[in-house]
Amino acid sequence: MPSSCPECGSSNVVEDDLYSQRQWVCVDCGSVVSEGHLTTTVSDETQGRAVPYHASTEVLKKPCRNLIAGFSRVRALCRILRLSSDMESAVVSLFERAYNHPNFIFVTLTKKEILGGCCVLSVCRQCNWPVAMGTIGYLLGVDNATLGTVYREFTKALNIEISTIGIMDMLESFCYDFKLGPQQVEEVFAEPPQRLVDRTSALIELAADAWIVTGRQPLPLLFAAVYLAWQSLNPTVRMKYTFVKFCKIGKAPEQSWHRSRDSVVKRLKELRDVLCKLGRELPWLRGGTVEPNTVVPLVDDILKNHRALLLRAVRNYEQQLQNESQTAQTTECDNELSDSNRSESHSSTTPELMDPDQAGCENPADKQATDCQLPPDHWSKRHLFLPPCVKNRKRQRVDAPQLEVTGDEEISDSEIESYIRSQDEIEMYLKVQKELKKMA
Amino acid sequence: MEQNNSLTPFPQGLASPPGAMTPVMPIFSPTMRYNTGLTPQPVQNTNSLSLLEEQQRQQQQQQQQQQAASQQQGVMVGASGQTPQLYHSQVSTTTALPGNTPVHTTPLTPMTPITPATPASESSGILPQLQNIVSTVNLGCKLDLKTIALRARNAEYNPKRFAAVIMRIREPRTTALIFSSGKMVCTGAKSEVQSRLAARKYARVVQKLGFPAKFLDFKIQNMVGSCDVKFPIRLEGLVLTHQQFSSYEPELFPGLIYRMIKPRIVLLIFVSGKVVLTGAKVRAEIYEAFENIYPILKGFRKTT
Repeated sequence: MPSSCPECGSSNVVEDDLYSQRQWVCVDCGSVVSEGHLTTTVSDETQGRAVPYHASTEVLKKPCRNLIAGFSRVRALCRILRLSSDMESAVVSLFERAYNHPNFIFVTLTKKEILGGCCVLSVCRQCNWPVAMGTIGYLLGVDNATLGTVYREFTKALNIEISTIGIMDMLESFCYDFKLGPQQVEEVFAEPPQRLVDRTSALIELAADAWIVTGRQPLPLLFAAVYLAWQSLNPTVRMKYTFVKFCKIGKAPEQSWHRSRDSVVKRLKELRDVLCKLGRELPWLRGGTVEPNTVVPLVDDILKNHRALLLRAVRNYEQQLQNESQTAQTTECDNELSDSNRSESHSSTTPELMDPDQAGCENPADKQATDCQLPPDHWSKRHLFLPPCVKNRKRQRVDAPQLEVTGDEEISDSEIESYIRSQDEIEMYLKVQKELKKMA
Repeated sequence: MEQNNSLTPFPQGLASPPGAMTPVMPIFSPTMRYNTGLTPQPVQNTNSLSLLEEQQRQQQQQQQQQQAASQQQGVMVGASGQTPQLYHSQVSTTTALPGNTPVHTTPLTPMTPITPATPASESSGILPQLQNIVSTVNLGCKLDLKTIALRARNAEYNPKRFAAVIMRIREPRTTALIFSSGKMVCTGAKSEVQSRLAARKYARVVQKLGFPAKFLDFKIQNMVGSCDVKFPIRLEGLVLTHQQFSSYEPELFPGLIYRMIKPRIVLLIFVSGKVVLTGAKVRAEIYEAFENIYPILKGFRKTT
């Protein structure tokens, strides 16, 4: 510590730091007598560690790059789906919350993208804005299962109440997606959206009554219903266009229907079968045949009278069942004893009328029943309309006979020995392993 | 002073032996505000099988009690069918006998039902079948998994994929995961006793392989049951009316996930009428959960 200034010779030297650099300055003449090192050596540094990014002030001043990219992606999604500005800001703030949540801050970038989609989905559900998961899925390029897992994690982590969305809610925006206005396509293909919506919703209600909707993915069903509705509004001209052609005419985005093409075909078949079952009840057809590929022109009539037709169909089916059971009873009088035993056991479990012997019973309404292996006394035979998963049961479940054990019995040594290798086996096993290792 | 000797027969017609009062809360004393261990948890549904078993047990214990204490306060329990919403509480009236200590009546607590209220109805007649039991046991010693995998016929061990030996036995058909700490998980049995027998067999195999295995803390961790109500179910309707318990996302999973609070069981309900119940620690929880859900499902059965 210098005591005298070399310039003026005074001893009034004080320590006066300049921006954390130690300096000794003479008070009288102002010259700098000596100064400390600006830099420190390693031995001087007591805390030799760099400040990590997340503890620096940079984090507060500028959010991370991925978050900014995420924001722009999320806003783009909102704009594609045409959400209002309030909803867009809600989505953005939710995304920020989710991004910075400890469960999601360290996940992969793809998962962060999916997280953005989940935020959009969640806000849409809360505001009753009907968006299907499949729509978000194809916009992000992921399948429903991946989207679903992230969505579940996200709702659990942020404690968000999930509200379900029905297929009817999604219907209107779905129909408007198809560009079938009179200016956009030819006259024969054009359909005012409202008419399409009405016809499609009537078809979906019918499908719901016939158990085709519950438990199924809604989007393939919506596609099938829109296609059938479009066809039925001008059947003479439009019958020859396949589903794929229809999507191309209506300019539906290919990624949305391409993956679920097979499901759409299955739903079309089911819808047409239901329409046939009802079409057969139309009194002015006088029992003429109604085939799935010719039922579309009748859709208009069927939908107008669908309630009456449903009642008639069900009543006729029940009548048929009764008649068949009666004929079976009168013809099977020699096996009456065994039949009555069986029918007693059936009636104890089911209160309704059962056919005692259905081995040869053919219901014209479901000829497919003989293809699947439902037992003859299955409860599904009583219903005309059933969820297809009940009718098409491919494999019969066989319940293994229950073991009668107490849990504390003696365990035989021989049984346990059978699970242990003998010495020869072990040696052989080791030899083979060595050989395999040599070969590899 | 009236002593009501008429018995309220339980809805199934299970009348208690004549002359005995049918207490559901037999003993009242100022120190005891709640039921004794004799009664099951608040009677919400007089239909479950577990309750039948409990009632039989109660009656046996009642008879023992009758001999012990001659003077008891009789309790008449309003049939739970009369107060369908408040089945958590019991309407109880007590007859005061002279010289007895004051009685505590359970308060009528109109709390929000944590399981949906069900009117007293007949038992469904369907019994869920147990499909899988998961249990754990501690073999009490460290194990060398490589040795086990080498010397046992029915074992597989792939340390890169999973840090346990997977062992299988034929009877009862089960699979066990055996960890090097000595803990073991046994899955695949169809009943509790089968699971116990299987776990003992695995322990015996490990013993025979030269380890000092014991059989400590056997515990059933999870039970899965399934059944078929034999009619199709409108899942969309069910999720609307029971939305605080149900989650139905047809785009993710075709079934409805119903999280019952009491008992704490998760039910997977499908449109075909099949129901899977899981998360139970005892068999009675599965039966009780099914008896709770059956009347609700019947409400959503729709015949076209």
